[in-house]
Amino acid sequence: MNRRAFASFVMPSVSVMTFLMVIPLVTTIWLSMTDLFLRNLDSAPFVGLKNYREVLADPNFWSATRFTLLFVVVTVPIEIALGMCFALLLDRVDRFRSIYLAAMLLPFIVTPVVGTLLFRNLFSRGGLVSWLIELITGEPFVVDASNVRILIMLHAVWHVTPFAFVAIFAGLQTLPQERVEAASMDGARFFGTFLHVTLPHLKSVLFFVAIISIMDSYRVFDSVFVFAGNRFDNSHTLSVYNSVEALDAKIGRLGKGHAIAILTIVGIFAALIPFLVRSYKEQIAERT
Amino acid sequence: MHLRRAAQRFGLHASLAVVVVWSILPLLWTFQTSIKFTRDVASREPVLWGYDTTAAAYRAYWFDDPSTNMWHVLLVMVSSTLIVGGLLFAARRTERPMYFNLLAIFAIIATLVYVEVRWETSDQFEFFINSVIVTVATICVSISIGLLGGYGLARYSGKSGAVILISALAFRALPRFVFVLPFFIIAKSLGLLDSRAVIVMALVAVNQPFTIWMLRTFFLEVPKELEEAAMMDGATRLQAFVRVVIPTMKPGIIATSLFTLLLAYNEFLFVRVLAPTNWTLPVGIVALAGGESSKGITEAAAAAVSITLPIVIVIIMFQKHLVKGLGSGAVKG
Repeated sequence: MNRRAFASFVMPSVSVMTFLMVIPLVTTIWLSMTDLFLRNLDSAPFVGLKNYREVLADPNFWSATRFTLLFVVVTVPIEIALGMCFALLLDRVDRFRSIYLAAMLLPFIVTPVVGTLLFRNLFSRGGLVSWLIELITGEPFVVDASNVRILIMLHAVWHVTPFAFVAIFAGLQTLPQERVEAASMDGARFFGTFLHVTLPHLKSVLFFVAIISIMDSYRVFDSVFVFAGNRFDNSHTLSVYNSVEALDAKIGRLGKGHAIAILTIVGIFAALIPFLVRSYKEQIAERT
Repeated sequence: MHLRRAAQRFGLHASLAVVVVWSILPLLWTFQTSIKFTRDVASREPVLWGYDTTAAAYRAYWFDDPSTNMWHVLLVMVSSTLIVGGLLFAARRTERPMYFNLLAIFAIIATLVYVEVRWETSDQFEFFINSVIVTVATICVSISIGLLGGYGLARYSGKSGAVILISALAFRALPRFVFVLPFFIIAKSLGLLDSRAVIVMALVAVNQPFTIWMLRTFFLEVPKELEEAAMMDGATRLQAFVRVVIPTMKPGIIATSLFTLLLAYNEFLFVRVLAPTNWTLPVGIVALAGGESSKGITEAAAAAVSITLPIVIVIIMFQKHLVKGLGSGAVKG
């Protein structure tokens, strides 16, 4: 395909991304340096880095950053490990496979806010799990500031594991059976086969799952908003903190909100740039 | 030896059963809450069996008129599902599936119109209609733009292709808040706040990186010779693309549409910010579940089940495509 044909094919897609992503991003950077509120949308004065100083001095920002990092570091590895276990299990059965698969996919397809409510119902008063906990410990179980973080992370594991599972499972389907048989011929036990044949085959799948889960966990909003929204300030992630600061206060501190958004991006890109560089090199290598 | 293998197989199925329970328990629990009377829900010790069932919560959620006959509603829903299912099934077995698919879509619209006219529906029903319109529009726009872009990116070997792909990946990582506030300000100044078009635009934009990546992966599997042969016969690049390449892309289009459907149907933040009143279902249920009264609990449970059901049906129908889509995206991406 020549350059001109390429340009006309990607034109609609690239212009959508330019107008609706690049320009908003630039706008965000600009607005983060203004004193923007809901009431002065047209005439916000330029204030330089004032919003940034304000955000960086806000203890809530650091608390949200800490919880977001904790959230990513705890949930992503558990999700990938569990997804791997689920995939290896399902890969070994033939009967009822599609029924298992449908049931296991459920947490992934459920609307996140709805999934959060489903999950919360188990732990609310009269819920199944809170009742079981009460039976065991003898004390009534209440969702409060001390355990809401654990519930948020448990929900995330429930919600995201199926994604890792399906991607890994699909990757397993492309594993040539001869290689597994050859390995077991050589006397490799299950674990040896897994380590030397399966895992290298899944390398690019795991890379893909990791990068997507890190992106999505870092910006998690819906479930944390439903769980902790206006009640548990200590359990806000960066996105929820951003929402509370920018929208829920009556006046709408939009300038500060934009500054938070920009600082959030700086954080994610510090982590992602190695991944992006690697993908770029792969893309270039594919072309020559 | 035989016994050992049987025991092994039993162990496998038992572990999978545990995984299944872990996955669907929250939905099952909420479902049984949704059909209970409020007196049974309010007790601290859950009433696990032998309770009376009622559709009152579903009635309260979907209808304003408290005397709505839920048996009648159920009858309409079941017969409509059977008709649509039958049509889609028939479509798979005929030479011209188009007509049956169109009939199925017509049947769905007819059911919605019937419900709207026959009963006094609640606001939530309006939100449901909004959800459907936003989802369908997002899929149509997103996929048609994405097909062009994905094809170009799959076939062009220059460096700028790689630059576009990697920038798209980078943009996929950005949190929603980077976009939602500028969208809000732009929509407000254009007077477009609260319109479905703004939500669709926003969703198409944030979905575009994912769409072009995924469709590109599927295009890479289509042999180049296919369109080259058509172009030798005198077709232009665009004609070859539309008539020869697109028809081979059905699995890719279905898989990408499914992910777009999940994104649009499930979206919460954009709708909450960009539509102060013209909500979709996820925003509706969060507003509903805010209260802590027992009556609110059953209604929120009914809402959760109602919102989940359509999506579960769609995914079960197209499960294979979803798995394949994730697989191909994962292996190549």
